[in-house]
Amino acid sequence: MSTLTARPIEDYTAKDFKSTLKPIWCPGCGDFGVVQAIYRALANIGRPPHEIAFISGIGCSSRIPGYTTAYGFNSVHGRALPIAQGIKLANPDLLVLGAGGDGDGFSIGGGHVAHVIRRNIDMTYLVMDNQIYGLTKGQLSPTSQRGRQTVSSAHGSMESPVNPLLYVLGYGAQFVAQGTPADMNGLATIIEEGIRFPGFAFINVQSPCVTYGLEDQMLKAQKASMQTLASMGHDPSDRLAAMGLAQEYGEKLYTGVFYRNPEPGPTFEGLAKERQAALKGTVSSRADVLNVFKLKT
Amino acid sequence: MNTDLVIGMAGSGGDGIVSAGESLLTAAALEGYHGVMTKSFGPQIRGGESSFKLRVCTHKVLNSGGTLDIAVALNWEDFLKFGGELPVSGSTIVVYDSNTNVAIDKIPLVGVTPAEVFAVPFEQMARETGGSDRAKNTVVLGLMAGWLGIGKEQMLAGIRKKLSKKGAEIVDKAEKAFHAGLAYAQAHPLQQSRTMAEPEKPTAKFVVDGNDLCAAAAIVAGCDFFSGYPITPSSEIMHFLGREIWKYGGTMLQAEDEIAGIGAVVGASFAGKKALTATSGPGMSLKTEMLGLASIAELPLVCVNVQRGGPSTGIPTKSEQSDLLQAAFSAHGDVIRPVLAPVSAEDMFGVTIEAFNMAEYYQSPVIILSDQEVGQRKETAEPIDASGVKIIDRRRPTEKELEKYTRFRLTETGISPVSHPGMKGGNYLASGIEHNESGAPTASGEMHSKMNDKRLKKFNPLKRRRDLFIIDGSPDAPLALISWGSSAGLAIEAHQLAVKAGLKVKLLVPKLLFPVSEEIYQDFFLSIKRGLVVEQNQQAQLYRLLRMYVDVPRGIETLAKSGSNPITPSEIVDRLRHISLALQREKQHDQSHG
Repeated sequence: MSTLTARPIEDYTAKDFKSTLKPIWCPGCGDFGVVQAIYRALANIGRPPHEIAFISGIGCSSRIPGYTTAYGFNSVHGRALPIAQGIKLANPDLLVLGAGGDGDGFSIGGGHVAHVIRRNIDMTYLVMDNQIYGLTKGQLSPTSQRGRQTVSSAHGSMESPVNPLLYVLGYGAQFVAQGTPADMNGLATIIEEGIRFPGFAFINVQSPCVTYGLEDQMLKAQKASMQTLASMGHDPSDRLAAMGLAQEYGEKLYTGVFYRNPEPGPTFEGLAKERQAALKGTVSSRADVLNVFKLKT
Repeated sequence: MNTDLVIGMAGSGGDGIVSAGESLLTAAALEGYHGVMTKSFGPQIRGGESSFKLRVCTHKVLNSGGTLDIAVALNWEDFLKFGGELPVSGSTIVVYDSNTNVAIDKIPLVGVTPAEVFAVPFEQMARETGGSDRAKNTVVLGLMAGWLGIGKEQMLAGIRKKLSKKGAEIVDKAEKAFHAGLAYAQAHPLQQSRTMAEPEKPTAKFVVDGNDLCAAAAIVAGCDFFSGYPITPSSEIMHFLGREIWKYGGTMLQAEDEIAGIGAVVGASFAGKKALTATSGPGMSLKTEMLGLASIAELPLVCVNVQRGGPSTGIPTKSEQSDLLQAAFSAHGDVIRPVLAPVSAEDMFGVTIEAFNMAEYYQSPVIILSDQEVGQRKETAEPIDASGVKIIDRRRPTEKELEKYTRFRLTETGISPVSHPGMKGGNYLASGIEHNESGAPTASGEMHSKMNDKRLKKFNPLKRRRDLFIIDGSPDAPLALISWGSSAGLAIEAHQLAVKAGLKVKLLVPKLLFPVSEEIYQDFFLSIKRGLVVEQNQQAQLYRLLRMYVDVPRGIETLAKSGSNPITPSEIVDRLRHISLALQREKQHDQSHG
């Protein structure tokens, strides 16, 4: 358990995390369910809103921090992860959440995912994966299926989709899960587990776009097709089994925890703290740094 | 007796050229001399040609000087590759290794006849004393100590210290190599002595370079976080902080790319910490979106651009000042980001402290425009005392303000208190999207105007800060000399020479380049008829920037050269002399026709 969640738990309800801003999302958007699940998870965790930093990029889903009472940062496209890491390293006591769409996380910001994972910075990153660019009105996204026709692919996509689950498992992620607002309880539980995981947690959320999405992605269709990994008897400590299941991304909708490292590795900020403690005694004040310019005879 | 000498030396990578230059500078600095040393290399990762140019003075100087007083060529091929970077004139003493088999009257210097030429058997002396040709640089040091009359004891102490781990025999050989050089100097006295006069103050100096001093100043300023990506010629800032910042409770993150580097810095600043990133041209191009984000989110941060030749990859190892317009106008939107430039490595201390204070006070990114020259040259400095340094922290909300907190409150000054995560009651949404006073996203044109006004007007007091300018000379002088950054180190010296020569010229060096302080320039230009703007870029970027904001007198000319093409104080004085003559002719013309 991370240092955050080890603190005394105060009594919070989901309402305490809901801001007064009215979402800009289309009626029926999957993201409404995601934000509700976040409220519930945060209430269970019990950290006060002012000790939470919630960072996003750009896109429909990236509006999400503003709909919570946490300190929010709706930043620029694709850069939620670097900003979130800076926040966590500057103040490791904060509970840090990151969020964005599949374009934010796996297209424009795709280069950052591998690195937050290998640093194992203790934060939870939710990707609201809807296989489309909704905010810019319906272009191909990195998770769009080959052949899909959109305004930017009038004759059909000529590219294979990214497999977010397999990517992050390949990068060495220690907590990988998938959820859907079609199963609110399940999603809230996964988010809570992700937050409690002492390291970087990746959660892919199948959050349908009601305006540009395909029929089989809608909540109703998801409800019919989803299978929980628990019901399948999947052992989340088995990384290879997780990778096998993740291969079926795009064909099967599995929800729950794919992989949770039973022996989580060190976090960057934990190692930083150790290094700071080890070197602290070597100086007495900030002015001491100038001693390096003194010449020695 | 000499008060100001320039020594240049070139050879191949394995010759220990740079370490010889550093030994000489260190020895001189310990005796109280001032000096500036630049190094230059070929593009090879290892080996290749290598050189240093060291100016030793009895007083503080701000550039590595013009033509060489002593030129040392360990081989001619490498020496000649540096061209104008190691300029030889009729007053230069040329020393080269006789193993090059070049006759004294056949040295390959075109169009100059040096004052004296010595073919010294450096390699042979090194082998006979040090047992290996690797001691060549030590022989050269002995020779320099002999001719200059400085640093003998300090350099011998340095040799002993550096080699003591390798055993008494090695130390003994190195000392013998040094003494061989010294004996050569005694046996070959110069026709015109190059012995240095006593230093103005015989107290030991610091030796600094702009990159290291920037990093150290950041720590003094209260910086707790650095993130950046390796790039020449700025990486030493990251290296330094990677060693030091942890001791002060801070964190260094080598980011996966330039964008992530500044992104993490934006995050750390949002979390309430002072944060720094550093880069050079290509990285600066990548960072611009984040600069815009920090501007609209009103988050303090400092971004150093150690300029090199551009555009694109350009010339990564050579200095240039061609990113001024980029710094002033980087990122889209109606916005101001302060740009500061140090005039020397020593100046980097004050400029970095100022940058952090400015960033915190105005809640804005601040760009430091350094360059490869300032960043990487070694320079003596008076010992720096950090005790009197004034440190400014961002205005945080009071407990009363936190009762009903409004992050982007429209205040008279444009500055509104900023909270950070962990502060109860301070919760708000930071964003790159336009927002209202509470931070909620808005697309209202009216609110956009108000927020733009807030973000622009907060810098008004900055434009009146005369302490960010060096202004020198008679207030009614008709000639202007303007320069910035490392070029200013040349202009300041040229100004002194020009005044001594009787020219009526006054000097202006802005350390704050943007926003342009219109009133300060207008006041300065009141008496000005003609003048010169000196800078190391092809387009005369400062001159053009000034013309955008200020009524620049028509008689102002430019001395602007692309990076690594030398500009010298005497060249500046020559131009000023011409400009002065033209002004006199104009006056005579006016009188005869008036």
